[in-house]
Amino acid sequence: MRNRSRHGWRRVVNGVNLAALLVFIFIALPLYWMVASAFKTPANVGASPPQAFPHPLSVSNFTVAFSQNTFGRYIINSVIVAVVATVLVLVLGSLAGYALGRLPMRGRFTVLVILLMISVFPVIAVVVPLYALLRDIGWLNSYQALIIPYTAFYLPFAIWILRNYFMAIPHEMEESARIDGANALRTIWSIILPQAWPGLFTAGIFTFTACWTEFLMALSFNVSNDYRTIPVGVALFGSQFTVPYGTLFAASVVAVVPIAILVFIFRRSVVSGLTAGAVKG
Amino acid sequence: MKVIAAMRGRSRLMLIAAIGVTAALTATACSSNTSSPAATHSASGSAPSGSATSGNITWWASPITTTSPDPRTVLISAFEKAYPNIHVNLQSAPTDTDTNRASLITTISGGASSPDVFMGDVIWPAQFGHSGLAQPLSSYFPSSYWSSFAPGLVQGATYKGQVYGAPFFEDQGFLYYRKDLLAKEHMAVPTTWPQLESDAAALVHKGLVKYGYVWQGDSYEGLTCNFMEYLGSAGGSALNSGLTQATLNSPAGTEAANFMRSLITSGASPSAVTTFQEAQSMSAFATGQAAFLRNWDYGWSYSQTASSPSSVVGKVGVSPLPSFPGQASPGTSNIGGWNLYINPHSKNIAADVTFIKWMTSPAAQTILGTEFSEIPTVQSVRQSAAVKAKNPVLAIVGDTRLIPRPAQTPAYAKVSQAIYTNINSMLAGSTSVSGALSAATSQINSALNSSGL
Amino acid sequence: MSTPSVAPAPGTGVDVTGTAMPKHARRQDVFRRQQARLGWGLSAPALILIGAVTIFPICYAIAMSVSNVSATGSGFSLSGITGSNYSIMFHAAQWRYALFFTIFYTVVTVAVEVILGTLVALVLERLTAGRGWMMALLLIPWSMVTVINAELWAYIYNPTYGVLDAIFSHIGLGSPVILGTRVPAIAALMAADIWKTTPFVAIIVLAGLVMIPRDYYEAAEVDGASGWTAFWRITFPLLRPTIALAVLFRVLQAFGLFDLPFVLTSGGPGYSTQPLAILAYNAMFRDLDFGPGAAVATSTALLVVIGCLVFLKVFRAQAGTEV
Repeated sequence: MRNRSRHGWRRVVNGVNLAALLVFIFIALPLYWMVASAFKTPANVGASPPQAFPHPLSVSNFTVAFSQNTFGRYIINSVIVAVVATVLVLVLGSLAGYALGRLPMRGRFTVLVILLMISVFPVIAVVVPLYALLRDIGWLNSYQALIIPYTAFYLPFAIWILRNYFMAIPHEMEESARIDGANALRTIWSIILPQAWPGLFTAGIFTFTACWTEFLMALSFNVSNDYRTIPVGVALFGSQFTVPYGTLFAASVVAVVPIAILVFIFRRSVVSGLTAGAVKG
Repeated sequence: MKVIAAMRGRSRLMLIAAIGVTAALTATACSSNTSSPAATHSASGSAPSGSATSGNITWWASPITTTSPDPRTVLISAFEKAYPNIHVNLQSAPTDTDTNRASLITTISGGASSPDVFMGDVIWPAQFGHSGLAQPLSSYFPSSYWSSFAPGLVQGATYKGQVYGAPFFEDQGFLYYRKDLLAKEHMAVPTTWPQLESDAAALVHKGLVKYGYVWQGDSYEGLTCNFMEYLGSAGGSALNSGLTQATLNSPAGTEAANFMRSLITSGASPSAVTTFQEAQSMSAFATGQAAFLRNWDYGWSYSQTASSPSSVVGKVGVSPLPSFPGQASPGTSNIGGWNLYINPHSKNIAADVTFIKWMTSPAAQTILGTEFSEIPTVQSVRQSAAVKAKNPVLAIVGDTRLIPRPAQTPAYAKVSQAIYTNINSMLAGSTSVSGALSAATSQINSALNSSGL
Repeated sequence: MSTPSVAPAPGTGVDVTGTAMPKHARRQDVFRRQQARLGWGLSAPALILIGAVTIFPICYAIAMSVSNVSATGSGFSLSGITGSNYSIMFHAAQWRYALFFTIFYTVVTVAVEVILGTLVALVLERLTAGRGWMMALLLIPWSMVTVINAELWAYIYNPTYGVLDAIFSHIGLGSPVILGTRVPAIAALMAADIWKTTPFVAIIVLAGLVMIPRDYYEAAEVDGASGWTAFWRITFPLLRPTIALAVLFRVLQAFGLFDLPFVLTSGGPGYSTQPLAILAYNAMFRDLDFGPGAAVATSTALLVVIGCLVFLKVFRAQAGTEV
């Protein structure tokens, strides 16, 4: 509960509010267009002039996406890969972020710069050797073919983010925990992590989204239909000369739902994390 | 670890980098010493490895049509009925040709043995053959097999004397027109390009259509197809026979390019045509906004199916492309379509050969023609009454003149890019016709004779 | 392995008469080394995984860029060490343009996204009710598959049935060919990217905003500071590390720009919307020139790294705080 008065802020807030409202409209309109087009009949998707509102409403795009294109399978695969990779990234990234941010390691800046360099390398260049490596291990067309590379490529960013938030936590809390006899893992779990909840959320949502939308590696490593993820599955819609926008958008609407659900689930945690931060003296 | 930890930051960095690069170079030096048995498999008529009548094959093919039933599964079931001991596993490839090719290149150059057979574009043989990504097929089939195909198709699949792909189904450019509009204005179906241009411009000026003549002018492979058609109709060629020089900066090339540009300046074609690929031009014609369309054979079934969407059902006619006055008639149609290739690492090449032989046999080709309206590659099937009666496009396939794209060179991708980027720039008015042709010529020459980006 | 500081055992070199400093320093030294070892131990799993999966392919890519590569049937064969790939690259007009375009594109889109994203974050932070909804809405563009996002904008920009052209002709601006002309195509590309990525910046900035202690604002209000002053004196300086982080990673992403132009424009018209990543992709997968393509990819990564290091140095000097 915030009771602070906002006299000085009011003028600024209005200006900022207006600008943010415009940005909000800018973001919402294309989204509306996509959702509306998903519900148009396939014929009306290409109508000229375009229909502002689908009339008649039709769900045939959705049925085509799921029946003809086995879209449900792709969703399951994407969920598995993204969830496992995100969990791995958060666990390993928290440990490393804590170490590199708060422990007196010599050469940690070097490590951080190397991590940066790795996360920067264009995926195109590494796809071919990585493919050969996975083939030699025998991991092609499997979940780990994507989970392991995703974890490895998205860890550097997560480490940087988590480290940044960990560093902002005052050292006194850690000191008192140490005096109380807590070891490092306990300290991380009960003191550091709760304080850096927004950082965890950011790193988590970034990793999940990156896994969810990654295309090039998914296309190259998991060619079998049983293991295809959503971006690759979508690349198969239509035929050589047609782009079935209606089906694409229907698939996109469905693909976006898990993310929205996740944000809703985490919403309360983020809010409680924020209020905890406000109460803290 | 302790030693590394003790080193100063920068030297440690260098050490790790040096170790890494050395390791990579060593690893690759080792791997490059192993030669692939398939690559040294010469074309001396030796029998293919594996069993010809049993085994598992993986077939990599992108969707052929969007309607059900799926021609790929229909063909597979028919094949498995003929050869019960061979099981075919279909892998659906990406619909975008470039993505499809990139995926295959990654897979095969990584040494994978699957897919065994892949359906690939007709312009891939030189590229794939040059890099060892497709198995030479000449030795597996007798010459009578190759001569059963329509003229020009096998030559298009040949590189350095070896055939790399078996023509599976073919495609060409056709002229689609609104017969109701032509009848209304008492216009005959145009047989020359200038005639088409004035007819199209007239229809636009009269307000009967929004666009006169739509085609594919975007900066992509399809523009090369369109350009080759005008070039061929004008009697020109893109490369010399030795594949060392570009020959499109000629009177024929100038005539073709000038005409393409004049289509836009005269109002016959919209300026938006420089962003049209097949999808946009097809949609413009099928929703009744254009009077003439140049497109592949699917244009017929698309425009005659109301749910495409199409509002011109029953109003469409199709003919071979027009030509230029004083040149041979009809105009040349560019060859498109798909071949079947074999992965050099496939473990069961004999079964692959059986599969390909069946897919290109009259039985399979008739299914493709009569049930799915694809243009068969086998000459006898093309000319059969059953196929010709299927739809007006198949009926006139025998009346067209064909011209291939200059894909006999492994550098074709760069050649094509030189053509379509410069022609697109010319169409948009950013470069002059002569400027575009000479730029294309110099870029093609440097692509053919040296390597570059 | 991890232990809190332990009192030294008696008789272990403790100076009886001596000053507190050396003894304290030695104990601190031991403690620091313990902590450092702990640090390496904690980060080992992450570092080992990253190293195992990425070091070999990256080194291989670097190796490809300095040797003659040919794709044989059984894989790649690299022979010799040569600078010809880089020399080809430097002499290619396409590469120079792609470099310029990528830098230009990065600067413009990141600048716009940071400004818009900060605006959005500021407002979000103020929201108590409905913040969850707003965040969910914001995350949808960002979480869309990039390829689908590109198709959505291709659909919007389509000259025949696209809604943008319909709006333009409605207000009498004619029927512009957006993706067919150079400047509109670049602007269209940027608009699509900004639409998709502004939420990313907003979320990062929001997380940073939220960590600023309330007391600072309360103290400022007691002192009578106006809204703008409070923003520039308190919020912005404390936000700087977060914004810097967002800028850093956005720049890295923007330099690898691929999916959007691949679907929207294929790098066209001509080469005008072809960034470095697409140039590398075309060189490797379309032209099968793996050597020069790897050279482009490697040099791109090198450029970004150098840019990042410069950025970090400048930022450290300015802010004086650790990034």
